Amino acid sequence: MKFQLKKIAAVVVIAISLFSCSNDDEVISGNGNLKLEFDNVYNANNLAFNTPYTNSNGEVVKINKLKYIVSNIVLTKADGTTFTLPKSQSYFIVDEATAASALLNLPNIPAANYTKVSFGIGVDQVQFNLGATGQGDFLALAQTAGMMWSWSAGYKFLAFEGTFTSSTVTTATSFMVHTGQTGTDYNYTTVTLNLPTNALVRTTITPQVHIMADISKVLDGSNKISLTASNGMGMGAMIMSGDKLPIITSNLPTMFSVEHVHND
Amino acid sequence: MKTNFLLLLILPLLWSCSNDQDDVYQNIPLEFKVPSNFPPLAYDLANNPPTQKGFELGKKLFYEGRLASDGIVSCGFCHIQEDAFTHHGHSLSHGVNDAIGTRNTPSIQNLGYQTSFMYDGATTHLDLQPIIPFTSPIEMNGDFSKAIAMMKGDAEYQKMFQLAFTDGQINSENMLKALGQFMLMVTSSNSRFDKYRRNEAGGTLTQQELDGYAVFNQKCASCHATDLFTDNSFRNNGLPVNPLINDVGRFRVSQLAQDLHKFKVPSLRNVEKTAPYMHDGRLYTLEAVLDHYSSGVENSATLDPILKRNGMLGIALTASEKSQLIAFLKTLTDTQYLTDKRFSEY
Repeated sequence: MKFQLKKIAAVVVIAISLFSCSNDDEVISGNGNLKLEFDNVYNANNLAFNTPYTNSNGEVVKINKLKYIVSNIVLTKADGTTFTLPKSQSYFIVDEATAASALLNLPNIPAANYTKVSFGIGVDQVQFNLGATGQGDFLALAQTAGMMWSWSAGYKFLAFEGTFTSSTVTTATSFMVHTGQTGTDYNYTTVTLNLPTNALVRTTITPQVHIMADISKVLDGSNKISLTASNGMGMGAMIMSGDKLPIITSNLPTMFSVEHVHND
Repeated sequence: MKTNFLLLLILPLLWSCSNDQDDVYQNIPLEFKVPSNFPPLAYDLANNPPTQKGFELGKKLFYEGRLASDGIVSCGFCHIQEDAFTHHGHSLSHGVNDAIGTRNTPSIQNLGYQTSFMYDGATTHLDLQPIIPFTSPIEMNGDFSKAIAMMKGDAEYQKMFQLAFTDGQINSENMLKALGQFMLMVTSSNSRFDKYRRNEAGGTLTQQELDGYAVFNQKCASCHATDLFTDNSFRNNGLPVNPLINDVGRFRVSQLAQDLHKFKVPSLRNVEKTAPYMHDGRLYTLEAVLDHYSSGVENSATLDPILKRNGMLGIALTASEKSQLIAFLKTLTDTQYLTDKRFSEY
C-alpha cells in the first residue's frame, strides 16, 4: 500500500511535469525572417520631398534628398541573448526616393521572441579599416548611391539635402548635411530601440517592425544647428565636416522610435 | 657563328629577367596621342615623359588622403571622376578643418593643352599646379616635409618611387612630376561630338544637335574656341558680384584694374556632368547658364566687350536656340573618359 502510494505519487509528478512542459512552451526552432521598415517623417508629418516644414529656428526647409546607411543589426531575445546579423549581410542604404529601400528584409533569423533591435547609422570603423578592397559589394552599392567620398574620407553615413529660407535668407538657398568621418571624429553611432510588443520570429511568421525616423531631429534635436548661420558665403549651408558633425551625430539616435510590430 | 648570333639574341632576355626586380626603375613609356581635332599640346612631354609607373604613382597620390593635414581630403575628394572630376552638387567645396573654399571645383581633362591653371591663372605649369590645393589652408593644408616623411616611411611608396623615377628619390619634385603625369593622361576625346568631328563610327548628330552646333559657332565659339571649347583667356562674363565673397578673379594674380572680376574661360567638355556652373557654382543647370547669358548679364567696367555690343547686354538667344544649344552641349559627354578604369580610384 505504502509502496503503491509512492508509485502513484511518482506517476502524478511525472504526469504534471510532462503536462506543464507541453503546455508552457511551444517548440520554437528553425529560422525565419524579420522585416525592418524605416518610415521617414518630419515631426508629425509623413515626409514628402519639396514640401515646406518649419523648424524651431524659424527656418522653412524643403527636403529633396534623404539617404542613410543602416548597419550592424543586432536583435535581443526575451531571454537577454542576442543575435547579430552576419557582417556581410549587414549594410543597407535607406533612400527616401526609393520606397523599396525603406524595407529591410532580414533572412535566416533564428526563431525567437525578440524584445529589442539595435543598429548603426553609418559604417563602423572596423569595417572601414579593412580598406577599399575589404568592402565587398557594399562599396559599389554606396558609390552608385552617392554615399561615398574618396576612399580616404570614406562613406557618407547620412545625406540630407534641400533648400531653406529664413528671416535673413529670403531666397531659397540650398543646404546639404553629410555626416561621416572627419580628421578628428569617426561619427558612427548606434541606436537601440525597445519593441513595444515582442517580434515573434517563426518559420511561419515574419514580423515587421515599423520604425519611425523623424528627420527633423537631424538639425533640430537636442542640439540645434542653424542653417542660416551655416550659409556664410551666401552659397548655401554646406555642413559636411568639422565640429558640427559630432553634434549632429549625437542627434541621430533620437530620430528613431518603434511605432508598432506586426506579427503575421 | 650562327650559335653566337643566337646567344646575342638571348642575352638581353637573360639580362632583363635577372633584372626584373620590384624596386628598380621601369621605363614603360605611355603613348601620348594628340587627337586630330585637338589644338597642339602645350605641355612639354620631354621635360616629364609619362611612364606607366609614373602614372600609377601619380594616381595613388591623387587619391591619397594622407597628403592632407587631416588625413582625409585627397585631390580626388573634390575631383570625382563620374562628374568629370568636379565636385558634383557642391557650389563650393570643403577642405580640411571645416574650411570652405570660394570657388567651384574645376574639371580635370585635357590639361596638357592649357596654358594656365586655376580660375585666375595662378600657375602656368601643370606639374606645379598641385602645390596650390596641396598647401592651401582651406583645401588640403598639406606640408611637403610631412608628406615626404609619410611616404618615406611607407613601403609601397618606397617601391613606387623606385619604379617611376630613375633616381628613385622620394622628394617633392618626383611627387609633383608623378601627379603631372597622371593629370596629363586624363584625356577626354571620345564624345559623340569628337567622333562627328573626326568622321568616325558613332559620330552622328541629330538635326537639333547640329542646329545647336550652328548656334554655338555663331554665338559662343569666340570664347569657347576650338574643340577644347576654351581660348584660355580670362574674361568677365557679367555675373553679379557676390558681396560675401567678392572674388576679384584674375586681378588677384595680376593686380591690374583691367582684370577685375575676370575668370578663365572653362572648357565645355562633359559640361552635362559638371553642375553647378560658374566660378562659384552659383548656377545649377545649363538652362540657368543660358538664361544668364541672355538676360542676366550685369554691366561693369571690365565686362567683356563681346557681351555689350550695339548697346545690348548679353547674348540674344531664343527659347528654341537654348534647347538646341543644350542638346548640342550634351554631345560633348564622353562616357569612355567618365568611366575609364585607368583613372578610377577603385
